Amino acid sequence: MFHIRLFIGIVSIAFFVATFELIRKRHLLEEYAILWLFTSSIIAVLSLWPGLIGVLSRLTGLYYITAVLAIIFSFIFAILMHYSLAISKMKETNKALIRHCAFLELRVRELENRKKSPEAVERATGLEPATSSLGSLHSTN
Amino acid sequence: MSMNKGIAVIIPAFNEEKTIAGVIRGVKGLGDDYRVIVINDCSQDGTTANAEEEEATVIELPFNLGIGGAVQTGFKYALDHGYDACVQVDGDGQHPPHQIPLLIEPLFQDGYDMVVGSRFLGGSYKIPFMRAFGIRLISVYLKAISGLSLRDTTSGFRAYGRRAMELFSKHYPQDYPEPESLLFAHRKKLKITEVSVEMSYREHGVSSITPFRAVYYMAKVMLAMFIDLFREF
Repeated sequence: MFHIRLFIGIVSIAFFVATFELIRKRHLLEEYAILWLFTSSIIAVLSLWPGLIGVLSRLTGLYYITAVLAIIFSFIFAILMHYSLAISKMKETNKALIRHCAFLELRVRELENRKKSPEAVERATGLEPATSSLGSLHSTN
Repeated sequence: MSMNKGIAVIIPAFNEEKTIAGVIRGVKGLGDDYRVIVINDCSQDGTTANAEEEEATVIELPFNLGIGGAVQTGFKYALDHGYDACVQVDGDGQHPPHQIPLLIEPLFQDGYDMVVGSRFLGGSYKIPFMRAFGIRLISVYLKAISGLSLRDTTSGFRAYGRRAMELFSKHYPQDYPEPESLLFAHRKKLKITEVSVEMSYREHGVSSITPFRAVYYMAKVMLAMFIDLFREF
């Protein structure tokens, strides 16, 4: 019993320290970091102060391990669902950005071409006599 | 035909350097009403160079969006630039450009919003048995859940009017968009019809649907279509 508590305690503290480091080095956005800091501190407190579990179960009436497990699982599911939503949203914004970049890039290219050769634009708009013969050639194909 | 800006021919292309020029030339042969818009979905070959050689407008996506995302980019562009209608044509030469007017006609003559080019209305196009079976199954399923009756539910050779362009530039499925987009349009009460077209066999490249993925494809499409029944458009 003691060994497993020691193990969980070490793991949760390591987890806490790792989370702190990731925030400090700006690898983790604070939005998500707070959730993980909160989670790891709860695990750490519970493993270092096991009496608290007894107090909590008397307060809440949760004596069964299955009930506790159910709570933990729902918590994990909620986090995963939150990430799926975040990823979906990000994919949408990403797509819009990709499209926007592509449209801008096309406009730049068109403007550059117009600057480089005004006669090419004339040709494209069909003002030059040479184009109309080209156009009729195509339509007979 | 009362038109001001003309028709955008949207060609989604992913590594189609061998065939793209031929398709564009075919469209240009139809006359000045048509303007080719190639959506290069992050090809690694000479697709863009070959398309620009033929004086097509090329939109270059910096990342691969897949067929749905690429076609939707075309709808958005055509809508933003005021085109009266657009046609979707594959860049691999499967959809003969000379058949495009067949798809356009019902839009302007009969007021349809969307016209699907069908391989199964009296054509002589032979496709593998399992694929024909899959398409038939989707067709039956579509009819059962929505009442919309169409034969060639996976055909990507289609014409769209302004209302369809508006819908699809907002909502368009990503991976295998053809059957689902029919349901989107039907849910939005657009008028959809089907006309017989001839299609050629793929000149180069392979189908995106291998037998291995067929079952997954069917399950995914049918599930997605079911969920679409409860969506708002």
